[in-house]
Amino acid sequence: MLALFVVFALFAPVITPYDALEQNIDGLLIPPSWMANGSISYLFGTDALGRDLFTRIIYGCRVTLGSAFITVVLAMLMGVSLGAFAGMLRGVRSSVANHLLDALMAIPTLLIAIIIVAILGTGLVNSMWAITLALIPQFVHHTRSFVRAEMKKEYIIASKLDGASKWQLFVHSILPNMTEMLVVQGTLALSIAVIDISALGFLNLGAQSPLPELGVILADGLDVTYLAPWNVAVPGMAIFFMVLSINIVGDGLRSALRKRVSH
Amino acid sequence: MTQILVRYCTLFILTLLVLAIISFSLAYLFPGDVLENLTGLVPQNEIQRAALEKQFKLDQSYVHQFFYYVSNLLTGDWGYSFTSGLPLRDEVGIAMPATIELATYAMLMALFIGIPMGYYAGIRCYSTSDYLINSASITIYSFPVFWFALLLILVFSLQMDVAPLSGRISLLYNIEPVSGFILLDILFADIENKSLALKDALSHLALPTFAIGAIATASMARITRRSVIDVRHRPYIAAAISRGLSSWQIFFRHILRNALLPILPLMAIQITTLITNAMIVETLFSWPGIGNWLIQAIYQRDYPALRIGMMAVSTLVITLTILVDLFNRVIDPSREKYERAAV
Amino acid sequence: MSYGLVKRLSLYLCTALVVASCAKQNKQAFYNTGIIYCSESNPVTFNPQLDTSSTTSDASSHQLYDRLLDFDPETGRIVPSLASSWLVTNDGLTYAFQLRKDVWFHSTDYFTPTRNFNADDVLFSIDRWRLTSHPYHYISGGRYPYFESIGLAQNIESVERVNGYRVEITLKRRDSSFLANLATDFAVILSEEYASQLSQAGSPSKIDELPVGTGPFKFESYRKDHFIKYRRHEDYWRLSLSSEDSENASEQTNTEITKEPENASTPASSSFQSNGGEYSAVEQLIFDITPRSSLRLAKLMTGECDATAFPAQTELEVIRAKEDLILAEKPGLNIGFWAFNTQRPPFNNPDVRRALAAAIDKNTLLEAVYFDSAIRAKTLLPAASWAFQNDADDTAYNPVLARKLLADAGIEPGFSMTIWAMPVERAYNPNATKMAELIQRYLRDVGVEATIVSYDWATFRRHLREGLHDSVLIGWSADNGDPDNFYRPLLSCGAIPSGTNRAMWCNPDYDKLINDALKTDDIEARKAIYRQVNRLLYERLPLVPIAHAYRYQAYRSELEGLTINPFGGVRFGGVEKTL
Repeated sequence: MLALFVVFALFAPVITPYDALEQNIDGLLIPPSWMANGSISYLFGTDALGRDLFTRIIYGCRVTLGSAFITVVLAMLMGVSLGAFAGMLRGVRSSVANHLLDALMAIPTLLIAIIIVAILGTGLVNSMWAITLALIPQFVHHTRSFVRAEMKKEYIIASKLDGASKWQLFVHSILPNMTEMLVVQGTLALSIAVIDISALGFLNLGAQSPLPELGVILADGLDVTYLAPWNVAVPGMAIFFMVLSINIVGDGLRSALRKRVSH
Repeated sequence: MTQILVRYCTLFILTLLVLAIISFSLAYLFPGDVLENLTGLVPQNEIQRAALEKQFKLDQSYVHQFFYYVSNLLTGDWGYSFTSGLPLRDEVGIAMPATIELATYAMLMALFIGIPMGYYAGIRCYSTSDYLINSASITIYSFPVFWFALLLILVFSLQMDVAPLSGRISLLYNIEPVSGFILLDILFADIENKSLALKDALSHLALPTFAIGAIATASMARITRRSVIDVRHRPYIAAAISRGLSSWQIFFRHILRNALLPILPLMAIQITTLITNAMIVETLFSWPGIGNWLIQAIYQRDYPALRIGMMAVSTLVITLTILVDLFNRVIDPSREKYERAAV
Repeated sequence: MSYGLVKRLSLYLCTALVVASCAKQNKQAFYNTGIIYCSESNPVTFNPQLDTSSTTSDASSHQLYDRLLDFDPETGRIVPSLASSWLVTNDGLTYAFQLRKDVWFHSTDYFTPTRNFNADDVLFSIDRWRLTSHPYHYISGGRYPYFESIGLAQNIESVERVNGYRVEITLKRRDSSFLANLATDFAVILSEEYASQLSQAGSPSKIDELPVGTGPFKFESYRKDHFIKYRRHEDYWRLSLSSEDSENASEQTNTEITKEPENASTPASSSFQSNGGEYSAVEQLIFDITPRSSLRLAKLMTGECDATAFPAQTELEVIRAKEDLILAEKPGLNIGFWAFNTQRPPFNNPDVRRALAAAIDKNTLLEAVYFDSAIRAKTLLPAASWAFQNDADDTAYNPVLARKLLADAGIEPGFSMTIWAMPVERAYNPNATKMAELIQRYLRDVGVEATIVSYDWATFRRHLREGLHDSVLIGWSADNGDPDNFYRPLLSCGAIPSGTNRAMWCNPDYDKLINDALKTDDIEARKAIYRQVNRLLYERLPLVPIAHAYRYQAYRSELEGLTINPFGGVRFGGVEKTL
């Protein structure tokens, strides 16, 4: 199922029959095709401004999943570098910094997003920054503990005795072993990012109407919930399935990892 | 012991200091004129501007201003909100307990339902009941919380008319906010029909608590299950089985405590997620908590409120996580590093 | 088990059931003592003299105050309120009002009246906005937008206290809409005693924040963005009004009125009479401030609100379909329009305005925004008004003409303008943002780029008054049945400072025409003048009339006595809640 979403995200412009932003005045609030009044040309029906919901959902998947992905990648890059740096430090400084970061990790994503929106204004890009900032501490923490644990292992000490510098140690020895942990953390972060981006879009703090983002589509549909419940049901289901598939994949990866480690 | 306490205290104060610096600098980071952002007043001319700057100490160095800011915070002068004009201390004082109450009940639900379910699933791992519980919890866990709350509203409030969807209690009641916790305040208030009011408040609490609590429960169940499975595969359990201990004995003596320990550190992140979800859900249920208040503040660009709100929520969360960490350290000093992420 | 035990158990069970059912009765009884109304926004003040927004009038005018005269919501006739009868001299210049006795002001924790209502209160209430020298004139801002827009202060020669219960008002010129203006939501009567108390205490502006009036409810508390709480006024004068009194009162209104629609012998059939003069047992009235209309509807459905303001067009079907909800509808006395800021070039060029008007298809707007609950507007006046002109000229959808006119006027393609869309719903425009988006599309077709601008309601109106807009989507709901109430506040020169003239338009011919219309009481003569006015407006097009909307009131079936008031705000006095 995850693959389906990825396909949506990548090929959205090709498979959608309509323009996501185009308004069709004559076709307001058409029910989806499986209901009595619906028509097959509008698969999921239309919303209150006449925009085809199917198109919007597909574009929405693209926007939500895409931006979540970018967010996670950014956070991973920044977090891993910071964490590696922190992991190789010693002494009081490292401990202080570590504890601080741990404490700051506790600040809710929404709060960070609100502050960033207050400073920079609303918009998808700003919400992405907010979520990136919120995800970094996690990567830092895990990288740091991983690095510290690895540093104690024999093969690292062996490399050090061989004269490798810190940078070489990191890139050649630790990083390859870290990929699995990173993937696991990455999927976890991805599911959080998807939910957070759509939550911010829903609250109008992130992506703005008329940008098709799943949370925004959901919020737009709120006003016509009783007349046209599919406007609320379909985007919600899309987000749900997206997150579900990410979580299932993540769980599977984790179990596989665990099995490998324990054998 | 005291060493640990001292360490945590310094950490606490240090973190708060960092937060204070961040929230202080927000005044300069927010778009617009600093003076207007801080005070809400637009100076008409240079004389007024100079006078206002003097009054709010904007003509001094940053360090000076920072100390002024912190001393204000500590004495309780938190400024005034743009939109309502009320002192921020009062507003936060009303809003914060509302969120805490909601989060507390949800947390209790997660603890008392999630953990036992997780145990149950873990013990019978890879059996059908485990599979059921695991799928259910991963499904619920994947729900975006705002959609889940919407569905609850659509089904229970609008279709079945079982629970109300807005506020903490019907507006017909005049309850004085003594403690900020509605259930306690009803008991303190002097109205005739307390039981009626209690019923009303409970019905208002039902849906929001369930929305947040269900997701927290699912997450708790998964963590517990994972922990129990891990413990079950430890060598000492195998040793215990080979020694002939019954499953009950194994459970009570070994699994229970050992599985519980790793969970505790993870609670810290759970609390954060819980509060974030609470803040989102509050907007859907018009729950007068800090989340709703902050979101209204950002819509209306109420900068003083945002600063103080950020400070308040961060302080709350940091306090809770540090307490949880302290608790862990005290209980289990053998752990040098602890995992913080959810499973 | 022994027989005795069974007996005791069943006794307990019965008692428990009885107690439980009593508790249920108790529950219902308690909830019937209060009415919760979902309102859409915060009132700006609690004195409707200071503001024209319907949110302010809804919150204050009919709940907290009374006026000298009222409109009967069914017939539109002017009926007595605090003035029990009145006489007019033959030259139409002097009005003498006989005031009602035994009317008491509210007794709250911030004020206790020592005397009942008398002429001093009337003098205070009118002189406050009439005389700039009055000590209270500039309190709370000094703007009385409705009265300023109709120029009433300039037309009043004097207001005199003849005795404790008689007041005489003398005008400079005949004004056939004077009585109607005294019956609007804005002409409320304040307490002079409270005012002097406050000015002695040094806090005069409290008169508009902690209000005192004679209305059916007294003010209890207000929390911005959350709620307004009112309590029943136990000494409300209508409670002791018997139907006999009101018959006498309505007969007296017939004497010496030169122009008055024929007042039959039927007494004022206001909602108060419908339950035989008996008043509701409603202890509390609460306004639950809920800006989102879908949330208002949801609260209405769950019963957390008993009545709601401004249901959105998309929700009307849902309300009609539900059995426990009632949707009352009436053709409204309102107009939704698109006004151009005629003081700003190029909108001062009537050809440009005509072009923009031809660029949009009004029928589409009607369908998409009003969902068939409105009628296309050709002029300012709706069909419900007696001066309605059915055959008036109307603009048509003609993008070709639009492009040509724009080109002739020298407007290049790509010209950008702003459309200001109000952020709140009103009967005359339930979704200005959506309408703006649709207009934006039409304008793009003729080469005009429009940007949509909006603010929170208070800021929005302030900026409009300052004239920062290029064009605005807004409207007007009538305050009284007189056509002057449409023409004067919306487009007369005198209405620009008060902010109700959104087009910022000043045309001396127009002003002369509408002034002439007030000089006569002959309906046909007035109609003829208004035809000329309509023609002038069609030629100059300071605004494009879009729709006359139906007015709706959605409420739960447990409420009795709630009617739609076509002339003003919602009234909760006299509304009862039953099982």
